[in-house]
Amino acid sequence: MKCATLFRQDDHCWQMFGQDPDKPDNVVDTNQYLIRSGDCAILLDPGGMEVFPAMLAALTREIPVSSVKALFLSHQDPDIGSSLPLWRRVCEPDTKIYLSWLWSSFTAHFDRDAVFTTIPDEGMEVSLSPSVRLRFVPAHYLHSSGNFNVYDPKAKALFSGDVGAALVPKDKATGSVFVTDFASHVQYMDGFHRRWLASTRARDAWCAQVSKLDIDFLAPQHGLVFKGDDVKRFIDWFAGLEIGSGVAAMNR
Amino acid sequence: MTQLLTTTRTRTQRTDRIEARANGLLGDCRRAFHAFGGLDELAENLRILSLNAELAAGRAGDKGKAVRALTQYTRELVNRLAQIQGEMHSLRGRTFAFSSTILRSLMQLNLFERSCQLIEADTGSGRSCDSAQRAFADLMSVLVDTLDGMANAVNDLSRRTHAVEEVVSQSDSIATNIAIEAAAAGVHEKEFRTVSDTMRIYVDDLRQMIDEASDAVRRAAEKGEALRRIGLDALDELHRNS
Repeated sequence: MKCATLFRQDDHCWQMFGQDPDKPDNVVDTNQYLIRSGDCAILLDPGGMEVFPAMLAALTREIPVSSVKALFLSHQDPDIGSSLPLWRRVCEPDTKIYLSWLWSSFTAHFDRDAVFTTIPDEGMEVSLSPSVRLRFVPAHYLHSSGNFNVYDPKAKALFSGDVGAALVPKDKATGSVFVTDFASHVQYMDGFHRRWLASTRARDAWCAQVSKLDIDFLAPQHGLVFKGDDVKRFIDWFAGLEIGSGVAAMNR
Repeated sequence: MTQLLTTTRTRTQRTDRIEARANGLLGDCRRAFHAFGGLDELAENLRILSLNAELAAGRAGDKGKAVRALTQYTRELVNRLAQIQGEMHSLRGRTFAFSSTILRSLMQLNLFERSCQLIEADTGSGRSCDSAQRAFADLMSVLVDTLDGMANAVNDLSRRTHAVEEVVSQSDSIATNIAIEAAAAGVHEKEFRTVSDTMRIYVDDLRQMIDEASDAVRRAAEKGEALRRIGLDALDELHRNS
């Protein structure tokens, strides 16, 4: 599994784990993100149980697992957090698990003993360390009805969950974790956004909300990371996209 | 950028060894319960037969006295079967709950064993796979406890099978006695002989159930014990290495 450092300033850093070459082809590729500050770390969307062994091995190469003080689940999907009971077995017992209030009793189907710190619809702010605060930004209905992004104002980084996701075929991977040619990258995210995301109102609200944030890189849960001007390019592209294509199947 | 590469998905020998036997154990338990699947219907048929026999005995007057006593005894056996059947239902629920815990533990053991292999294969990093190893040991301990519970459930199942065996043996004697009474029942002989013959058919069906179930229960008990020993050995080994 690849581990790429997206941002580093003193002991504050963002790392992305993904593009596991050993992953079975029928399991969708996911990105897991680690935000570190000093001895504290939060793992964003720790992944499905299938990627857990590779993810644990890759993570412990970077930090001791005891440094993971919190897990964040953007929503309830299995590729996001079905590994939760496994992480709870290796993390410290007081590790916090953040999740939308909407999904706590549903995610208990993965792990009935997990105790969640639920995030209200309007989001919340948490301290990773005395110097780093993170904001859980609402992204409801994109695609999940209880869904959050994570914004780090100090790193100017937004973890955007399924927004910005792309399904890049294995043979088209360039080896980079960043989008290098936005125009050619569109083909890999177009279908995903049209079909998985449904609410135009939610999309417009999200675009308005994140446009106010100072973002150097936008990191989705699938595919490649947008940086620099590509962040704005992505928001503009997404703002004009026709989504909810599945509705057509009901109108036949 | 750092990259951890493994060329192929490695086998998890410790877990695989347990998993193969556990699948066998769960399969045998399923077979045993499946064998008793028709017990409800058989008990009901036996109850209806005893009611009909009692009516026939009533019609036969004094010649039906002994048969009437035998049918009342049959109804007690039917009640005993119903009780065993109820116990089997709750035992089945308990066994399936153990099965699901065993399967879940095995799946997680497999993932932690793979984690350990990946960490250990990453030579040069100087890391140990303590956390994954500890989680593996914790899970193995849960598995051994669950296997203990499963072994108890298999023993309970074996006891219930013996209890059904007793019912079969007593029903067989009753059928024989009704046949003897039939021989001396004159015009009622045909009716009593039908009762006796039908009862023997039910007894044969019960015997067949017991044969199938006993074989599965015996195999399950052997596998359960072997699995428990493997689990305990694995735990010992983990404690020695920790």
